[in-house]
Amino acid sequence: MKVMQFSKSFLAAFVGAAFLVGCGEEEPATHPKDSESQAFISQYEVREYHPVLIKNATILTATGEKIENGSVLFSEGEIVAVGTDIEPPSDDDLEVIDAEGKWVTPGLIDVHSHLGVYPAPGVQSSADGNEMTAPVTANVWAEHSVWPQDPQFQLALAGGVTSLQILPGSANLVGGRGVTLKNVPGRSVMEMKFPEAPYGLKMACGENPKRVYGSKGQAPMTRMGNVAGYRKSWIAAKDYMEKWDEYESGLGNGKPPKRDLRLESLAGVLRGEILIQNHCYRADEMLVMMEIAKEFDFKVTTFHHGVEAYKIADKLAENDVCSALWSDWWGFKQEAYDMVESNVALVDKAGACAVVHSDSATVIQHLNKEAAKAMTSGNRLGMDIKPEHAIKWITINAAKAIGVEEKTGSLEEGKMADIVLWDGNPFSVYTKAEKVYVDGALMFDRNNEHFQPVSDFKLTTIDTESN
Amino acid sequence: MSKLLKSLAIMALVVGAGSHNQAQAESILIKGAKVYTMTSAGTLENADVLIEDGLIRNIGDGISASGAKILDGKGKVVTSGIFALENQIGLVEIGAIEGTRDSGTELEDSGASFRVSDVFNAKSTLIPMNREGGVTRTLIKPYNGKSVFAGYGAIMDMTGDYDSLILSDVAIFATYGEHAAYLSGGSRASALQELKKSFAQAKEYAANKEAIKRGEYRQLDYSFADLEALNRVLSKEIPLVVSVNRANDILTILEFAKSHNISLVLSGVAEGWKVSDKIAKAGVPVIVDPMDNIPSSFESLGKRYENAGLLNKAGVKVMFSSSTHNADNVRQAAGNAVAYGMPYDKALAAMTSVPAKVFGGASNYGKLMPGFKAELVLWTGDPFEVTTYADTVIIDGKVQDLSSRAKRLEQRYKDISTDNNTFYRK
Repeated sequence: MKVMQFSKSFLAAFVGAAFLVGCGEEEPATHPKDSESQAFISQYEVREYHPVLIKNATILTATGEKIENGSVLFSEGEIVAVGTDIEPPSDDDLEVIDAEGKWVTPGLIDVHSHLGVYPAPGVQSSADGNEMTAPVTANVWAEHSVWPQDPQFQLALAGGVTSLQILPGSANLVGGRGVTLKNVPGRSVMEMKFPEAPYGLKMACGENPKRVYGSKGQAPMTRMGNVAGYRKSWIAAKDYMEKWDEYESGLGNGKPPKRDLRLESLAGVLRGEILIQNHCYRADEMLVMMEIAKEFDFKVTTFHHGVEAYKIADKLAENDVCSALWSDWWGFKQEAYDMVESNVALVDKAGACAVVHSDSATVIQHLNKEAAKAMTSGNRLGMDIKPEHAIKWITINAAKAIGVEEKTGSLEEGKMADIVLWDGNPFSVYTKAEKVYVDGALMFDRNNEHFQPVSDFKLTTIDTESN
Repeated sequence: MSKLLKSLAIMALVVGAGSHNQAQAESILIKGAKVYTMTSAGTLENADVLIEDGLIRNIGDGISASGAKILDGKGKVVTSGIFALENQIGLVEIGAIEGTRDSGTELEDSGASFRVSDVFNAKSTLIPMNREGGVTRTLIKPYNGKSVFAGYGAIMDMTGDYDSLILSDVAIFATYGEHAAYLSGGSRASALQELKKSFAQAKEYAANKEAIKRGEYRQLDYSFADLEALNRVLSKEIPLVVSVNRANDILTILEFAKSHNISLVLSGVAEGWKVSDKIAKAGVPVIVDPMDNIPSSFESLGKRYENAGLLNKAGVKVMFSSSTHNADNVRQAAGNAVAYGMPYDKALAAMTSVPAKVFGGASNYGKLMPGFKAELVLWTGDPFEVTTYADTVIIDGKVQDLSSRAKRLEQRYKDISTDNNTFYRK
């Protein structure tokens, strides 16, 4: 299948080029393929910063290693070296930080956030996360709701979060595209977008869609209605994709099909360019969603909230699906009743990709502690999970869950220098992020107010902060 | 009643109290633990705790007791059991399912006298879940429905016994600020007017009770039950707990309490740190959530993690609120308060001894000393740490069952990759 897709896109690129050349002044058909789209492309720029060597730190690399008295050297946005005997380069600009007693981890990644789309203060006029007007709104993009001045971005930064996926809400069967951001200030969302990160497409199982639409007397009103809705969408998407493929391969009547933003997002999933981010609590429903994926030949990349993931940990491993989970949230609705605190650990134990996520402006500030709680729950069941392993749940596994694991999420040479220096063991309640680097640039420093960003909105209170 | 009869009645009560908690009273000796006594004895680094007949009998070095169940306290920590505050444990099973929710009412004429302790479900799955996390008692609080008054709060134990009531009617809960404005006509001014009017009519009711009951007085705007409830606040029998966040709203409520000469407790108090000196001067205790720094509404723009520490520093008595399903996470919240400036002992007191002093029960709970109830937790380490858990939970001198629905699910599925015969495993 992969081979076929490759040859198709290769052919498409060739034909597309010929078309452009051949038609001169004529307006070219906008290409619907996600990987080639220039619309709203990232305008993020790596900030200039001097090279840094952090030494004498306890380092969790997120590759499974814990290095005592270790060093990390980074420069021009990239990690240059990680280890114990790193020679500082002879560079006048080099800043050397003695991190004795401190810990270093990769920047934390939250795969499930609504910062910007549900900003603070939580007033109706800026609640822009849920397009509850139709059960399938694959045409909406969360990034067009992100308010870059949401003061919660800075709170998450102070919690060590360097990348985050912003998702639309879960009212709809298909809620729209999510967007992955670097946690940096920007005047527009484009300036925050993680370069070349794939899009996520938010889907939702269970109670929410059937409640939202069922209560209006519309479909879906039941879980079977939910599934009928997904399948109908994939049938339409497949048809749409085929029409474009036909056109691009020179078959058909030579006229480009009409663009449809809704089907374009869905077709992007079928082409393997957009990753499914599926809100789904119940074990049986996750299994059904994986069947739908088989039927239409796509992949569920990540289940979100999977409170019952531990019940199907073996199947999640078999299908190579990530599970983004809470450490202990439960009971707010029926499908969240069967929580076990060892959920993350049990999924991990089965060999599946386990991720700790937040879905909360508060929890996003404490992902390290959520991972610590999940680790402890696993160890209470007799497992032997160590911090050097549990750190993966909020770094490299999270990166994998949103398709950026080649670029960030672990401390390895050549990767983005997204790094947190903690003032102690990050698996302690008392520990705080002291310095947070995004692409090698210091974006937050707890001890230096010049490196404590403040959104426009927050200026409201700064004047009166002294009382 | 004769003296003899009286003491017999008391004996019967004691026996009754003992038997409602099925297990036989046993003798337990915790050896060599770090003990936070919360008394003038301070924190003992390596002490024994002897428990007999439901009470703490002795705390100190080298205690021995023949026949006592020995608990190894080495490397472990003993504190009073957690007193969780302002949640709906026993009143809500599943948040989104109406039939399992008894925490508020939409009735127009039910306010200050709404009483949820009568319907507390001691068999709720939330009780073992929170008990397993070290919560031994809780202050349940109703939700505001249509009135600025939510109703009575009560203190319940976490034994799961049908008779879980420790103290009923310990306070009346009310709200002020954005939500109160919404409930009472769209302005804080109308909310304030509503508070003033209700207390004025409560006074009027007290002064003209007989005539009112005979129907020889003008119609008042509230039920007799509500007016009587408010009179318990006016007589200072119980405090009024007002949920309020914006700094000037806090001042408004302080002034209201002063002018009505009532006992006040503030809850929420997002911007409390801005007026901490005034709260301290008024001698008003506060309930805060040290894990919440989100400026979630315009009335809480000044919210910050340092709030608990700053209020404490100003001399305010600080307590911590908890969630309902995860009330035990108040431990982590306390750790966060410490990380942002609150002294450790004060944070521990904020979820044990201080609420007992403010809401009741302090005569036998909240301190670890001989004669006090044996209601305590042996922790695997620092109770505020996210890697610590409750090793043993003791209520009324009895070791509590730490199993829960979640623990059973865990056992059922922990080996799912190799054994999926789950339905026959209970």
